[in-house]
Amino acid sequence: MMNKSRTLNIALAFMAVIWVSPFAWLLSTAVDPIATGQLRFPKELGLNNFAQALTGESLLQLWNSLFIAGGTATLTLVVASGSAYALSRLKIPGRNAFLWSLVLLRMLPPTGILVPIYFAAQSVGLLNNVGIIVALTVLNLPFAMLLLKNFFDTVPVELEEAAHVEGASLATILRRVVLPMSKAGLAVVWFFTFTSAWNEFLFPLLFSRTEDAFPMSMGLYSAFGRNGSIQYGFLAAFSIIYATPAVAVYFLLRRNMNTGFAGVGVKG
Amino acid sequence: MADLALHSVEKTFGALKVIKGIDLDIRNGEFIVFVGPSGCGKSTLLRMIAGLENVSGGTVEIGGKVMNNTPAPQRGIAMVFQSYALYPHMSVRENMSFGLELSKTPKAKIQERVDIAAGILQLEPYLDRSPRELSGGQRQRVAIGRAIVREPEVFLFDEPLSNLDAALRGQTRVEIARLHARLGTTMIYVTHDQVEAMTLADRIVVLNGGEVAQIGTPLELYRNPANAFVAGFIGGQQMNFLTPEQAARALPDTALPDGTETVGVRPEHLQQVTGGGIEGTIDVVEEFGEYALYHITLDGDALPSVTFKSSATGVGAMGDRIHLRADPQHIHAFDAGGLALSVPTRH
Ligand SMILES: Nc1ncnc2c1ncn2[C@@H]1O[C@H](COP(=O)(O)OP(=O)(O)O)[C@@H](O)[C@H]1O
Ligand SMILES: [Mg+2]
Repeated sequence: MMNKSRTLNIALAFMAVIWVSPFAWLLSTAVDPIATGQLRFPKELGLNNFAQALTGESLLQLWNSLFIAGGTATLTLVVASGSAYALSRLKIPGRNAFLWSLVLLRMLPPTGILVPIYFAAQSVGLLNNVGIIVALTVLNLPFAMLLLKNFFDTVPVELEEAAHVEGASLATILRRVVLPMSKAGLAVVWFFTFTSAWNEFLFPLLFSRTEDAFPMSMGLYSAFGRNGSIQYGFLAAFSIIYATPAVAVYFLLRRNMNTGFAGVGVKG
Repeated sequence: MADLALHSVEKTFGALKVIKGIDLDIRNGEFIVFVGPSGCGKSTLLRMIAGLENVSGGTVEIGGKVMNNTPAPQRGIAMVFQSYALYPHMSVRENMSFGLELSKTPKAKIQERVDIAAGILQLEPYLDRSPRELSGGQRQRVAIGRAIVREPEVFLFDEPLSNLDAALRGQTRVEIARLHARLGTTMIYVTHDQVEAMTLADRIVVLNGGEVAQIGTPLELYRNPANAFVAGFIGGQQMNFLTPEQAARALPDTALPDGTETVGVRPEHLQQVTGGGIEGTIDVVEEFGEYALYHITLDGDALPSVTFKSSATGVGAMGDRIHLRADPQHIHAFDAGGLALSVPTRH
C-alpha cells in the first residue's frame, strides 16, 4: 500500500514536471535579460525582453496579428449573423442539409484547398492581409452560420412579432431584440474565430509577401536563427505576448457565457 | 378609439382554408370575445386584424378605413400574446417603454405613461426587474402594461390567461374587466374558455371550423343558442342532449316542434321527481358545496348519460336510482342539421 502510493506520487510528480517545465522555462527565460536557453533561475530580473518584443518590427507584427484576427472575427460575425438569421427565419427547404454540407467542406484540411484559394487571391490582387481575412472568413463561415442559426432559432418569433407591432423595423428588431438575445452565440463565434485567425500560420506564410505584413505567428518562425544566434529571452517574451490573447479570450468567454445567456423564453 | 369591421374575411394556408368568410361589426368600445375549440381559427383571425397575417379574401376595416395592406404598426392596435412575448434582456420598464421609444415619444412622456400604467397594474415595485424575476401573473401584467402605454385604438388579446393557474386566472379576469371599464377602449379577446367568454364579453363570437357559429351577448347565447354546437359550448356545464323519445318522457305535457332530432336541456334545468320522467342510476357525484353535479346513466342505449345540477340535499348517492324531468321553459330543440327550432313553451 505504502509502496504503491509512493510510486504513484513519483509518477505524478514526473508528469507535473513534464507539464510545467516548458512554462517554467518560458517564464524564467522571458524575465531574464541574459537568458541562455537553459532551464534555470534567472540570473537577473528585467523586462527588457518584453520591451524588445513590443517595439519596432515585433510591435508591427502584433498589430498585424490583431488586424488579421480582429478583422476575420468581425467580418465572419457580420456575414454569418446576417445569413444565419435569414436561414433561421425563412423556411427554405433543405436549409439544414445545405448548412451541414458546408460544414463538411470545412472539415477538409484547408491545405487541400490552398492552391485554388491562392490563385483566386492572386487574380483579384488580394495577396495581403486583407486577402487573409477574406480567405479565413470564407473558411470560418459555415460553422459560424450553423452555430448562430441554432441560437437565432431559440429566439421566439412572437418576440419579433411583438416588436413589429410596436413599430420596429427589421433592422431594429435585429439590433434590439434578436442580437442581444443571442449575445452568447455571437461571443462564442467572435472569440473562436479570433483565436483561430490569431493562431493561423499557413495563410500568412503564403499570402504575406513583405516582412512588414507578417503577423506574430510568422514573426516567431522567422525570428529563429536570425542574426546568427538565437535570442532566447526575446523569443520567450514574444511567445508569452503571442499567447496572451488566447488566455484573455478564455476569460472573456467565460464571463460572457456566465452572464449573457439570454436564450430563454418567457413562459408562465 | 375605433369601430372595426370584417367583411367576408377569408384565410387560406396553402390548400387549407382556415377562415371561411367571416362578417363582423364591432362598435367602438365594445369588448368582443372570440371563443371556440382549439384549432378553429381564433388566433388566425386575430392575427389578421393585427396585421401579422395576410388577408386571403375580404376586407378588414378599422375606423372606417380598409387596413388589408396597412402594416401592423400603423393600425393603432396593441397585442398581448399568449406567451407574453416580453423581451427577456430588458427590464420591465424597458419592456414597457420600447414601443414609445421607437415612435420617438419624448422621454418625459414615456416615463409618465409607464408610471401611470405601472400604477394601474400594481407593477411599481418591479419596474427595474427583469421579466425572468417575475411570477407568471406579474409577467402577464407587464405584457398588458406594454399594450396600455401605447394608448391603442384596439386591444387584441390572444389567450392571455391560459398560462396562469386557476386562482390567478379568475383574479386577472376581473382585472381585465376593470381595465376595460376604465379605458373604454375596444378590446378583442381570444379564448377557448367559455367562462372567460361569458364573464368578460359584451358580445361573444363563437367560432367553429373557421366559421361563425353565432354572435350575441352572453345571455343571448345561453338562452337562445342558434345551434347545437353553441348550445354545447356555452354554459357552465355541458348541455344534455336527449332523443325525442327521452324528451317525451322528460316533458310529458309539451309538444315539440316538427323535425326535432335532439332536445337540449342544461343540467340546471332538470328537476328531480319521485316517479315517471327519465330514469337512471347515479354514477358519480361531484360536490361543489353550493351545488352538486350528478352524473347519471339513463336506462336504455341511446344518449345514455346526463348531468343533473342541484343544490338540494338528499338527491341521492352513487348507485341510487333517480327520476328526472325537464323544465319546459328552458328546453332547446334542434333539427337533424343541429339548427335550433323555436320552442313555444320557452321563455
Ligand atoms: N402558419 C400556418 N400555416 C399553416 N397552417 C396554419 C398556420 N397557422 C395556423 N394554421 C392552421 O390553422 C388552423 C387554425 O389555427 P389557429 O388560428 O391557431 O387556431 P386557434 O387559435 O383557434 O386554436 C389550425 O388548423 C392550424 O393548424
Ligand atoms: Mg390560438
